[in-house]
Amino acid sequence: MTVFIRRCLIFSALFTPFAYIFAQIVALQMGNYDILGPEPGKAITWFTGQWAFNSLLLTLAVTPLKSWLGWKWLVVHRRMLGLFVMFYATLHLFSYVIFLLAWEWGDIGSELIERPYLTLGFIAWLLLIPLTITSTKGWQRRLKRNWKSLHKLVYLIAILCAVHYLLQIRSNWFEPTLYALIALLLLGQRFSWKALKGYFNRS
Amino acid sequence: MIIKTAVDIPSSEITSHSAYLNRRKFMQQSGLALAAMGLSSAASSLESHEGQPPRFGPDWLSQQVAGATETPFGKGEKLTPYRDVTSYNNFYEFGTGKDDPARNAGSLITDPWSVTVEGECETQGSFNLEDILKSMPLEERIYRLRCVEAWSMVIPWIGFPLADLIKRFKPLSSAKYVEFTTLEAPKQMIGQRSRFSTIDWPYVEALRIDEAMNPLTLMAVGLYGEVLPKQNGAPLRLVIPWKYGFKSIKSIVKIRFTETPPINTWQAIAPREYGFYANVNPEVSHPRWSQAKERRLPSGLFSANRIETQMFNGYGEQVAHLYKGMDLRKNY
Repeated sequence: MTVFIRRCLIFSALFTPFAYIFAQIVALQMGNYDILGPEPGKAITWFTGQWAFNSLLLTLAVTPLKSWLGWKWLVVHRRMLGLFVMFYATLHLFSYVIFLLAWEWGDIGSELIERPYLTLGFIAWLLLIPLTITSTKGWQRRLKRNWKSLHKLVYLIAILCAVHYLLQIRSNWFEPTLYALIALLLLGQRFSWKALKGYFNRS
Repeated sequence: MIIKTAVDIPSSEITSHSAYLNRRKFMQQSGLALAAMGLSSAASSLESHEGQPPRFGPDWLSQQVAGATETPFGKGEKLTPYRDVTSYNNFYEFGTGKDDPARNAGSLITDPWSVTVEGECETQGSFNLEDILKSMPLEERIYRLRCVEAWSMVIPWIGFPLADLIKRFKPLSSAKYVEFTTLEAPKQMIGQRSRFSTIDWPYVEALRIDEAMNPLTLMAVGLYGEVLPKQNGAPLRLVIPWKYGFKSIKSIVKIRFTETPPINTWQAIAPREYGFYANVNPEVSHPRWSQAKERRLPSGLFSANRIETQMFNGYGEQVAHLYKGMDLRKNY
């Protein structure tokens, strides 16, 4: 399969959730009231948040999949996966601000400061901005070795997102815990794999 | 104990059931007119259910519910549509998703139903729902329901004042609190079989005796002129309109009078987040979100319908005296 076809497939796969929720919103605005329940804003915020996290886990899975399964071909597509994280995270943030807080600026400020889970989520989104801007080949060249260190910020972002989700548990801890564990596993691979290799090389 | 009457009800204000049905008919017609104008959400909030056979519970109960008298409680409030009231529920016994109860509660057996009464009271034992409701006049009350999750609804309940029931059991002077327990039946309640829940079943909620005796505190058996749907806590549930929704315990099987304060389910799970009282209070935030405002459902996408939350959910006149001299920041 050529890179182009793979690119199209991955793009369609990750664009589908957006197409789906967009169709739901259009149907809702046209009067199909049942579709997202009595709190459509909340449903959309959850959905986009879930897909931001899914995209993030996929992005983080590229390196482990390469070393575990030898899927080197995935590395080419990591930029697109990363941009989807920003895409869904931005939709997530805006749907929270527009649909749930109804653009009430005073509330936006105080909520973001006072609620730790919102603060963490917002910081994660802010950290995505430099990564998005420097995702181009030009910036990769300009930043040289620093580019790689800068993009290691994604590890911190993953931890922030996991905590952002865990802090919202009321009674059902299954999904937030599952996401956190997968994130830990994917992050852990980066350190343990290297550590193990180093150990065996020495002996 | 002095029980203050919440509202004076002149006899001219008490509407017969037929007038209630007429009002419904008017609402239905105006609903259709609004629908014709393309205001679908406005129309849906006015939808009506008359003319349909009762869908839940035994015949004797639906007949009694149908005969409920109207009261001035909540007159003029815009009702939350039936569909939302019965499809957007927190009833963790049937799952943690809002749509889980409507999907899963069908397995609940509500007839026959009995309630055990025990503790600091003279009349103890197990009572059939039929005996409890015998000679208990039912009334319709429209109450605001404010969920601790910062959304709210307006619901026409059918029930009777809890005080009328409590008096029958003749609580002793040592009865300082009343504790209620929800059915525990994992075979009927899928949420109780879940391993991913922090709740220690059965669900328990309690009130101070004076809160329980307050005329606002309602024991409900119906809503929207029908027997309670199972997802709304059939066949018998509390409605305490000045407290967050989780206090209004559903599908009650046990009432116990105690001298010491019982520990409520949510209070046990997260004491920092859920206190014993759980009075609606816009000034005391939940540690993870603000309680200053609420989304009155249904909320549209670009009209979130955010409104200011009122102290005691707007029932301060009737209940504020219960908490005189108490620091409500500490006793949240």
